[in-house]
Amino acid sequence: MSREEKEKRETEELTVPVAGMTCAACVITIEKALRGLPGVREANVSLAGGKAALKLDPEVCTLPDIERAIEDVGYEVPWSRLNLLVLRMMGSHCEENITAALKTLPGVISVQATSATDSVSVEFSEAQVSPATIKKTVRELGYEVSEKGEGEDALDRERKLRQAEIRRQLLNMAFAWPLGALVMLGTFSDFWVFKDIVPSFMGEKLFLFALTTPIVVGPGRQFFVNSWHGLRRGVTDMNLLYATGIGAAYMIAVINTFWPSAGFGGEKATFYEAAALLTAFIVLGRYLEAVTRGRTSEAIRKLMKLQPKRARVIRDGKEIDIPADEVEVGDVCLVRPGESVPVDGMVVEGYSAVDEAMVTGESLPVEKREGDEVIGGTLNKTGAFRFRAVRVGAEMALSQIIKLVEEAQTTKAPIQALADKVAGHFILGVHALALAVFLFWFFVGFDLWFTPDTRLVLTPYTLEGLEVFGLALLISVTVLVISCPCAVGLATPSAMMAGTGKGAEFGILFKGADAMEATAKVQVVVMDKTGTLTKGEPSVTDVVPLEGPSDEVLRLAAAAEKNSEHPLGDAIVRGAAGRGIEVQAADSFQAVPGHGVEASLNGVAVLLGNRKLMADRGVSVDRLLAEAERLEGEGKTVMFVAADGRPLGLVAVADTLKETSARAVQELKRMGMEVVMITGDNRLTAEAIGRQLDIDRVLAEVLPQDKAAEVRKLQAEGKTVAMVGDGINDAPALAQANVGIAIGSGTDVAKETGHVILIRDDILDVVAAVQVARSTMRLVRQNLFWAFGYNLAAIPLGAGILYPFVAQVVSPQLAALLMAASSLSVTMNTLRMRGYVPPVKRGPPSGSPEPVRPEAEPALEVAQ
Amino acid sequence: MRFTPEHAGLLSAAIYTAVSLIVTGIFFAVTVLTGDYSWVARVGGSVWLFLLSMIILMPTVTPLVRKRLEG
Repeated sequence: MSREEKEKRETEELTVPVAGMTCAACVITIEKALRGLPGVREANVSLAGGKAALKLDPEVCTLPDIERAIEDVGYEVPWSRLNLLVLRMMGSHCEENITAALKTLPGVISVQATSATDSVSVEFSEAQVSPATIKKTVRELGYEVSEKGEGEDALDRERKLRQAEIRRQLLNMAFAWPLGALVMLGTFSDFWVFKDIVPSFMGEKLFLFALTTPIVVGPGRQFFVNSWHGLRRGVTDMNLLYATGIGAAYMIAVINTFWPSAGFGGEKATFYEAAALLTAFIVLGRYLEAVTRGRTSEAIRKLMKLQPKRARVIRDGKEIDIPADEVEVGDVCLVRPGESVPVDGMVVEGYSAVDEAMVTGESLPVEKREGDEVIGGTLNKTGAFRFRAVRVGAEMALSQIIKLVEEAQTTKAPIQALADKVAGHFILGVHALALAVFLFWFFVGFDLWFTPDTRLVLTPYTLEGLEVFGLALLISVTVLVISCPCAVGLATPSAMMAGTGKGAEFGILFKGADAMEATAKVQVVVMDKTGTLTKGEPSVTDVVPLEGPSDEVLRLAAAAEKNSEHPLGDAIVRGAAGRGIEVQAADSFQAVPGHGVEASLNGVAVLLGNRKLMADRGVSVDRLLAEAERLEGEGKTVMFVAADGRPLGLVAVADTLKETSARAVQELKRMGMEVVMITGDNRLTAEAIGRQLDIDRVLAEVLPQDKAAEVRKLQAEGKTVAMVGDGINDAPALAQANVGIAIGSGTDVAKETGHVILIRDDILDVVAAVQVARSTMRLVRQNLFWAFGYNLAAIPLGAGILYPFVAQVVSPQLAALLMAASSLSVTMNTLRMRGYVPPVKRGPPSGSPEPVRPEAEPALEVAQ
Repeated sequence: MRFTPEHAGLLSAAIYTAVSLIVTGIFFAVTVLTGDYSWVARVGGSVWLFLLSMIILMPTVTPLVRKRLEG
């Protein structure tokens, strides 16, 4: 076994929830800590998703190791918790048995069994073990198990932690802001109208010291503690910028208070308001981030909330109410109006309409009757029905969709990886810049430009007591604070998260951020014909009689084909039934492979087939040839019908276009993409379909195995190619394309290949996918513009570029305000995606003609 | 003395502290030799320079040393 094979076999993929991240530097910090663990082969952290995706050797690296590494750098792991009521526990022996049994399950972090209260509390990783498995394990030990309340899943815990963070920062603000405002008033007590209204003792340095110190050691403490955690592990994060900024401003103020002649600006430049307001603004930024960050992941939350909690199951003839995760395959479940379908299954009795919008994006309720598939998590609207469970737990469509979206949100688009890298190295860069700025102002700038009239921007008082070290330090600290790349870190992941979530709402699943980025860049869309542009099942399009009614021709043809299993025969039988023709079974039937069929009906010899069959049986079809050639020119398959050696007419059959194919092609072209159709059909048929759809380029007579090569040829022309097709049959071509779009996957999304999965069989979703991707990438670019634009503009200002001209420097507190505003602008911009609906889903484009109706609509067109 | 990966933390601490001290020493020497700086500026500047140097070098040197020792 090669080393790669051995590694592959020993590698396990898992996702761990992470709480407490605020910026891209946090991502880098955690990734570094995780990658440093023995056995970890790959670690990717998603800021917006609050998750770490790992590839590791489970023999070497365990979940507690991962938890410790994450906690060591100052973050939390919100594991899921299950609280069980376990009856029949008899003392410590039973507690030990249960604990030991549960700890053998992969993904169980900790177990606390207490026989005195009949309770077992389990902390576990949802990615590795389900609550149902935990309960089953305890039940198998001979105990009676039920869930206490509803337990606490990772989503609940993540929400609780976020709410706790919001409360903590709110408390910090409640402390820092009023005190900060007093410090501000005290600082300005000698200026403007404040002279008359602010008591003079408030301007005393000792009073300001007494007010500022609690702000720095209270709300400001978190930045010192967190940066120390990071430094201990050799990583730097945003907290370090804040800590050095606040610490330096505070230290200058203290020195100027107690040693005013030390040369730091003297009594008139104590900067207490800088330390106090800097802390207050940073805390405000943290609060706003915590509030708004949760909102970008709303779509996945909505999906998670759909997961049904309870199920009504018929067991031993009785209706019992059980937790939905305990439903087993084969159980018959009962669903009443207004209830959610608990798991995936097949209706066995009853009739209803089910709202599947939340899973498939289908806006209208879907009728369900015996034999129809129902999806777990969807909402039953009108009637009651029973269904047999087919897929439960992690196999359910909803679970698969959630998993897919979550995985997508932990991946990084190339643009995001770059932004993370920049933001991650930015911290060091900023410190290096602060050092350079300090040296410049210390050795050069002060002597050249310093004037005693120096002011802080937007403040009235001068800094005439400032000396060389004071000015250089002040500007250096401002650079540290103003350069914080929080917004850069948030720009891409928050937009990606909003985009993947929005896609999922419309039944469009992007398998990764890279898929999103590639979809936005698509130049050529290659579409498989059969099953993608067409319905994939032929139907009768024309019936041409030589004499008499066309129904008679169709009736005889259908009777001859009634026992046939050929798809064309099936189409003729359906076509006849669709026109209300009673189809009799033939007395005898014989297939002539490759040519047609011979049958006998009430003593009449019926012949149905191609020219060769007619010629072989001596039937002349000359009078029908002109019509036959016209229909074949339109890509239809023509079959001649004869009775007792006389030609009666012909029947034309064709695969019909989907109702939305023409509009989808039209929209894609309108969006500037080239549309290519690929098919195994002969050129004549393929070009006829291509003409109907107004497709620029038709690749005909391409064998299934050669489709990937055709995609490769298009790529060789330097184009970014998307291939749309059936996720199973077209898998190689989907894999070869820059973006493989698997259409009509239905509910079994996990089996699908392709980078983008469309749950519904609607070709317009391809257009919607491109529109969602383009909007998301537009959002990313806007966010990056705001974030980098802010830094590009703010850093020179912070570094004192305007000082030689205006003798004013940006104060650290103003820098903190600007920094918070930049993060806020990025988040608010991302939140605009919440109400986004892809244009194609809003109806026909304004100003454009009505959607083109395909010529070969399913409606039966009968030539008389 | 042969260094093993277990010594990475100690060795890197020695390196980044030494480099930071050298940088600080140079700064101090320059302030003494080239200008009329007050002692506050000299000492304060040295402390700030030492702090920033340590912050820059700690996360830079540690992984490099660890990588080198782990071969």
